[in-house]
Amino acid sequence: MKLDIGGVETIGVPVEALWKALNDPAVLTRCIPGCKTMTEIAPDAYKVELQLRVAAVGGSFEGEISLADKTPPKTCSIKVSGAGTLGHGNGSARFEIAPEGPDTSRLTFQGNGEIGGLVAGVGQRILSSVSKHLVGRFFVALRKEVETPAEGAA
Amino acid sequence: MSADPAAFRFVSTNRRVREDRRFVAGQGHFVADVALEGLLHVAILPSQHPAARIVSIDVSAALAMPGVHYVLTGDELAAATDPLMNGLDTPNVRRHPLAVGQTRYAGEWVVAVVAESRALAEDATEKVRVIYEPLPFVMTAAEALKPDSPPVHPAHGSNVLLDRTFVWGEVEKHFAASPRKLSFRVTWGRSSTVPIETFGVAASWDPWRDMLDVWASIQMPKYPDQIARALRIPANNVRVHQDVDVGGSYGVKRGIKQTVLVAHLARRLGRPVRLIEDRLENMRGGDAHGPERIFDVDVAFNDDGIVRSMKIRALDNAGAYAGRAPFQLGKPIGAIVGPYQIESVQYRAQSVTSNKAVQEAVRGFGQAPTNYAIETAIDKVAAATGLARIEVRRRNFIRKDQFPYLIPSGSTYDSGDYHTVVDKVFAHIDFASMEKERDRLRASGLLAGIGIAACLEPSGANSSFEPLLNEKNTTTTWMDSCRIVVDALGFVTVTIHNTSSGQGHETLVSTVVGEVLQIDPDLIRVIRPDSLACLPSNSPVGSRMAIMLGGAAFHAAQKLKTKLTRIGAHQFGVADDKAAYANGSVASNDKQLAWIDLVTIAHRQYHMLPEGMEPGLESTHVMQVPTGGTLPKDGRVQMYPCHSFEFHVVLMAIDPALGKPEIRRYVIGHDCGTVINPHIVKGMTLGGLAHGLGAALLEEFVYDDEGHLMTQSFMDYLLPSAHEVPEVEIVHHCTPSPFTVFGQKGSGESGYLGAPAAISAAVNDCVSPLGISFNKLPIRISASAMPSPTRNKANRKSKPNDHRLPRPSGAAEPAGIDPLAGRAIPVDPPDRGRRQPRILLRRRQADPAGVETAERSARPPEMDGRTENRASGGRRLARYVRLRSAGGGGRGLVAPDQYPSGADRDARTALRAARHRAAAGRRARRRSAARGACRGL
Repeated sequence: MKLDIGGVETIGVPVEALWKALNDPAVLTRCIPGCKTMTEIAPDAYKVELQLRVAAVGGSFEGEISLADKTPPKTCSIKVSGAGTLGHGNGSARFEIAPEGPDTSRLTFQGNGEIGGLVAGVGQRILSSVSKHLVGRFFVALRKEVETPAEGAA
Repeated sequence: MSADPAAFRFVSTNRRVREDRRFVAGQGHFVADVALEGLLHVAILPSQHPAARIVSIDVSAALAMPGVHYVLTGDELAAATDPLMNGLDTPNVRRHPLAVGQTRYAGEWVVAVVAESRALAEDATEKVRVIYEPLPFVMTAAEALKPDSPPVHPAHGSNVLLDRTFVWGEVEKHFAASPRKLSFRVTWGRSSTVPIETFGVAASWDPWRDMLDVWASIQMPKYPDQIARALRIPANNVRVHQDVDVGGSYGVKRGIKQTVLVAHLARRLGRPVRLIEDRLENMRGGDAHGPERIFDVDVAFNDDGIVRSMKIRALDNAGAYAGRAPFQLGKPIGAIVGPYQIESVQYRAQSVTSNKAVQEAVRGFGQAPTNYAIETAIDKVAAATGLARIEVRRRNFIRKDQFPYLIPSGSTYDSGDYHTVVDKVFAHIDFASMEKERDRLRASGLLAGIGIAACLEPSGANSSFEPLLNEKNTTTTWMDSCRIVVDALGFVTVTIHNTSSGQGHETLVSTVVGEVLQIDPDLIRVIRPDSLACLPSNSPVGSRMAIMLGGAAFHAAQKLKTKLTRIGAHQFGVADDKAAYANGSVASNDKQLAWIDLVTIAHRQYHMLPEGMEPGLESTHVMQVPTGGTLPKDGRVQMYPCHSFEFHVVLMAIDPALGKPEIRRYVIGHDCGTVINPHIVKGMTLGGLAHGLGAALLEEFVYDDEGHLMTQSFMDYLLPSAHEVPEVEIVHHCTPSPFTVFGQKGSGESGYLGAPAAISAAVNDCVSPLGISFNKLPIRISASAMPSPTRNKANRKSKPNDHRLPRPSGAAEPAGIDPLAGRAIPVDPPDRGRRQPRILLRRRQADPAGVETAERSARPPEMDGRTENRASGGRRLARYVRLRSAGGGGRGLVAPDQYPSGADRDARTALRAARHRAAAGRRARRRSAARGACRGL
């Protein structure tokens, strides 16, 4: 099944700091829900291992993430593909980062994906809310990652 | 040969069903109860793609897990076994238990893992790494029919498995001569029988005896032969144990791929191996879906409603492999005119492959969809001529005095009295009062309607459709057998040579043998030997066992009775015809020999037997299907021998706000000739009705645009529950068949063969005042009633939210018409502003013609002030639905809403318009009431 994903997030760091964090595999590993490892296999291309639970079923996924069309520190395209026993998926999204204040950035993202396998067939009803939940968890973790040091410094 | 019903002692009497006791007590013996020492368990890795090349399979990580014994791939299995049997002459449509080289539907079995426990095996499937390269795929029959569609089997060249046109009679002449014609399309959605017990099979191999033992939840003709052929071993090395209870089937328990897989593993590993499908394996990859069929029908008739000719084109979506699907287009040829005197028929049967799961035989073998098309045709003729629907049926029915009646396609109907059954049902329900009740319901603001359907159940299956559709097949017999043995102590044991999936064979056979031998059926033991000890038999399919097994038991008992009589006559020194058998004794004049004396002579006193008589007491009978035995000629063949009749009347009400079809009354008139056990026939009929209700309103295997099955569990594939299944009143009639031993006909498919047609007709009568009709099953009307106008208004007011919820591509606004067929639309808008998850409703496969506008003008239904309350009820329902869905909870009211079709949405618009009209009417009435009050002052 097809899935659209998109939203706007306001994050309390300057544009450059957000850009840097989003391009840091270590940060992403900590922020992507269920991400166990993220290994660089080529410039801007990574291999990831995820351990995820969707409702009552959980499983492991292996996939690749690649970044393209980068215009630092403003826009970037991200492509994700993965497969595991619970299903497979691929998708792409476009990020745009714009300053909202002196120490605040606005991140807009828009994309779509396609999901197949067990998660699509059995998890269809909850897939949209699960994906929303996972995106939410990513940003919660990202804020914690980028905003906390600033508070410590103040 | 038929006996006088009044003279029956046990047949047709109120006797308990012998099998019920053990099932009710939980003492059935199913395949999961078969305990084998050292048993290993199988779990399956399914394909995640509708079509993909298998690039590589890495099983090393799975094999390395403790407790894992083996991982089997399609390549290894295909090298060791032959492809599964293919009934059509399509040698390049090869089917193996595990995908070879490429997968052809999402859910297809790719790898089998064998481990110490099922749980371990399941865990290990997660460690198998398969690299796929996705290929183009095709999901709908219409697409598959196009020459440029991606071929599911490239070696076959196209997706067309079968395209055969039959013309029986002067079709074109009759069409040209008929003053009235009409054409329509109806679609039967993909559903099945979905037994509670999934398929299961256990096998063990004994290399020292060269013996493969198989225990399975099976209902399959020629099952041992097919196993032997696929495994390339002699057929007498395969021993199928038939004393395994089957927890529901009605056609689909034909797990040949499962059996070949497990049998190969048992031989390969030298240990017993078992596979019991879990629900997901069963639903998506058990290859047990049912017909999915589009009918294009042309009818030629006159102003009196007399139907002279029909052209039917049936296009069936077989799924990824041929299976039994094409033949399910063939069997309905035996009753292609239903109960009507239609002079000529043109029938085009088309079967195409697609990237969906494989079809298996389903109750009626294609007859229920065909009956739905025929009955819709008759309703449309009634609408076109302005005649009552029942009047058109009465005018076209074959009359009682016309039987045996030869229909254009070559089958002779045995007997029937359709007019009397209808009269009895109408008298039982007082039809005029039912119409009044419908009108009263309409006046109260409900959509109400009556549906009727008059359908045939061909029974006593042979397999004439096989040679009819495949000239290389020359089968003209489909025998069944029975053996009776009386032991030296005088006890009677009867062997039957099939599995049972709940049809009550033990009750049937003991009743029949008891009737003939005039001994208490409860004293007769009935056993099922393993397949190597069996007489030639087929399986309990096609509504055949009352006729075929009942017939075989009757003849075997007659032979035994003759032998006993001869023994008696010999002792008395009289001619055989001067001695008579009665109640277990043989008497002549004043002399009598009791049962035990006769038994003792047969078993111990050879010197007292007539010359040349074999000692012991045993008799067998192998029975040929009555009226069968000839090959097709000129596209005509005698199909099944007997034809039961069922006449359904349904009173339905639909609350326009809730949209939930509610059956207010269900009456069925049923004539299956002489009933052998009334409880079994009643159970079959009630179960069949529930099954038909599911096909009409609830059940469907829905695939999304990306080729994934969206209804894999009972959360999404909705079975009728006690909430939906009505109380049913059965009106009996008995027109004995001249072709069977007691006048019996089949009843294993009763209810199911007419209920979908009747329920569809009732829904369409309900919505007829709105000027719409539904032409696809299942009809999921309740989605049509939501959202209410109030909720739409609230929705429009809600502000767009930056935090857009993820939503499916192509999502349309709820009130709009979906521009893209097959796309998901969100409903339940009131909560959108509050950032709550929406439920996603996904419509079924596209058919823009999902709804038809009736020729006559739409008439708004009368409504009263209750409508407003109902609208708010609709809001409550919507919330309830959302809560249930968000929690991933059960089903029930949510049920029919999940997959609204285009028809549903158009109907929603019409229903909303009706509500507006009703509200306007209320306002006008209030105004005039106020004016009247003023004048009164």
